[in-house]
Amino acid sequence: MQIIEEISKNRINKSASGSMLQKICLDKLQINPLPNHKSEIWRMANKSKLARFLDYKLNHDFYKPNIPYENESQNVIRLIIGDNKKINIKEQEWEIKELDDQKILNLIQHKLLESDTTQNWSALLNHLLTNEKNICGLNISGRNLPHLEIITNSKNNLFNSRTLILNIEKNTEVEISQINLGDDNCSLSNSSYLYLGEDSQVNHGIVSYGKYKSHLINSLNVFQNKNSVYNLGSLQFKFDFARLEININQIEGNAKTNIKGMQITQDNEQISTYAKIAFNGPNGFLDQLNKSLARDRSHSVFEGLIVVPRIAQKTDASQLSRNLLLSNYAKIDTKPQLEIIADDVKCMHGATISQLNENELFYMRSRGLTLEQASKLQLRSYYQEIISFLPISKERWDLLALLLNNK
Amino acid sequence: MKSKKETKKPLLEIHDLFASTENLTILKGVNITINPGEIHAIMGRNGCGKSTLSKIIAGHPSYEITGGNIKLSGTDIEPLEPEERAQSGIFLGFQYPIEIPGVSNLEFLRVATNARRKFLKKEELDTFEFEDLVKEKLEIVKMEPTFLNRSINQGFSGGEKKRNEILQMALLEPEIAILDETDSGLDIDALRIVASGIKKIANENSGIILITHYQRLLDEIKPDFVHVMANGKIIKTGNSELALELEKNGYEWTDKFIDKT
Repeated sequence: MQIIEEISKNRINKSASGSMLQKICLDKLQINPLPNHKSEIWRMANKSKLARFLDYKLNHDFYKPNIPYENESQNVIRLIIGDNKKINIKEQEWEIKELDDQKILNLIQHKLLESDTTQNWSALLNHLLTNEKNICGLNISGRNLPHLEIITNSKNNLFNSRTLILNIEKNTEVEISQINLGDDNCSLSNSSYLYLGEDSQVNHGIVSYGKYKSHLINSLNVFQNKNSVYNLGSLQFKFDFARLEININQIEGNAKTNIKGMQITQDNEQISTYAKIAFNGPNGFLDQLNKSLARDRSHSVFEGLIVVPRIAQKTDASQLSRNLLLSNYAKIDTKPQLEIIADDVKCMHGATISQLNENELFYMRSRGLTLEQASKLQLRSYYQEIISFLPISKERWDLLALLLNNK
Repeated sequence: MKSKKETKKPLLEIHDLFASTENLTILKGVNITINPGEIHAIMGRNGCGKSTLSKIIAGHPSYEITGGNIKLSGTDIEPLEPEERAQSGIFLGFQYPIEIPGVSNLEFLRVATNARRKFLKKEELDTFEFEDLVKEKLEIVKMEPTFLNRSINQGFSGGEKKRNEILQMALLEPEIAILDETDSGLDIDALRIVASGIKKIANENSGIILITHYQRLLDEIKPDFVHVMANGKIIKTGNSELALELEKNGYEWTDKFIDKT
């Protein structure tokens, strides 16, 4: 594992802005270079795939990604992390400006200083391995902003690491799509930090689309102030190994979080979603649905945890996991969990694992559709709920076609 | 049974049909012949095998033919998959049309119509050509074009679902349409719209089987033959007068025709 060797031999180049913090990360990772496989959030991780994730040479250089569509719209601002382009735009109704190094440090250090290395191993690794030019920090304010499209990519046979920090100011409304592109035989570590100010709203889409033997660990950390609304749509597919770790913290409660995510696995892939939503004040709201679809000999994992301490009275939270098993050899593990101390709350969780609906298939076949056509339409209906939640237009990113043309 | 189109070959021939599901025999020797242009009604108590018969003709995978055969225009359909039967011209109007969230009605109808057209060696329709065709057919069942943009049957009222079934029938132009309790759950106006649609689609080259419990559908669509089913068999066949007698006397009146052996 080349990356672990670099860490143990202390051969990581530290960035100027984060050297103190990087030293802390290094110290922690030198003590625990690998996540604890006995811990809840790592016990399902495929060890050999994790080892493969860590077995590429660290790369800091920028390679232009092969993006399947041009950016021709005036209403979209495209950013590719690592391309060294500066963004500072001020319009009448909105402003996007780069965060300075100190502000970035202030925003991320509390996450990295968390004592539990197992819980934030992915973030520690990411921060240690990401150099300055692969960190994108933006302050966003105002309304009627253009759609923000942020792309992170990896280069084959290399380990690539990117960090995104977005500070969304009070009363701001913005749509952000984050596209993580995997290349052949590569690893991508991506950590994102979103801070939502009071009364702000973020519609966030994360699409992680890999290639042959792509690996991804994507850690998402969201901090919501009161009266903020955070909508997340996520889609992960075509990765040999991918993890999406979602950590949402409603700092004072009184905020709304809606999450619809989906992972599609095939061949021998393993794709996982871990979601921890913590309510640290009253009147919080969560509606989460995670779907998975597993084919061939693949493995899909969902683990969810809703944390409702005593202070979080009147929390209204729901976490559902719906799964479609399309092969006798595929495997789905799902575990939505509740940890409730408060006594005046409405919380529910549930999980289902099923196969394609026979009645729906017969109905379509009785109209002349072949089993393959009927299955594709049924799968499309399964995807639709998630796809339509992504703040990405079909014209710009024809994921649906990609998905449906796949087998 | 005397056909009004005696010179034409039968469209559908069901001969001594036995069928079962989960090791339970439901059909125990059904015989029916339908000629082009004929409308047949099948009536009978709940659980007598009417819906099973319709599903077996359409090829539902949960049912197995254990004896006898079904021929469409002289060809045994047992080896055919449900989609091949549909493409060949068998249409089943569902008693409870299935809701499929997320699948556009318009797209579903287009794929289904083109599958049938392909079988008939007709040119497949592109999106624009299909929209023209479907708008014309919508008139038959008095449906608004907005129905097309919704998911299949999702959020449709009972009447809308049944009208959607008849719309599909109009688009697919089947040789044999089996309408399983199409009248159930319909108010008087919706029943008239559905019945009027069926009459407009019916023609001298196709046959229709109406499965129903009630005379009210047969007041709107006069059948050439009425069959009474009991215990997995046709126990009596007559003309439209038979339905009136059933309405008057109930199914008890037909019990004397059941072969106790």
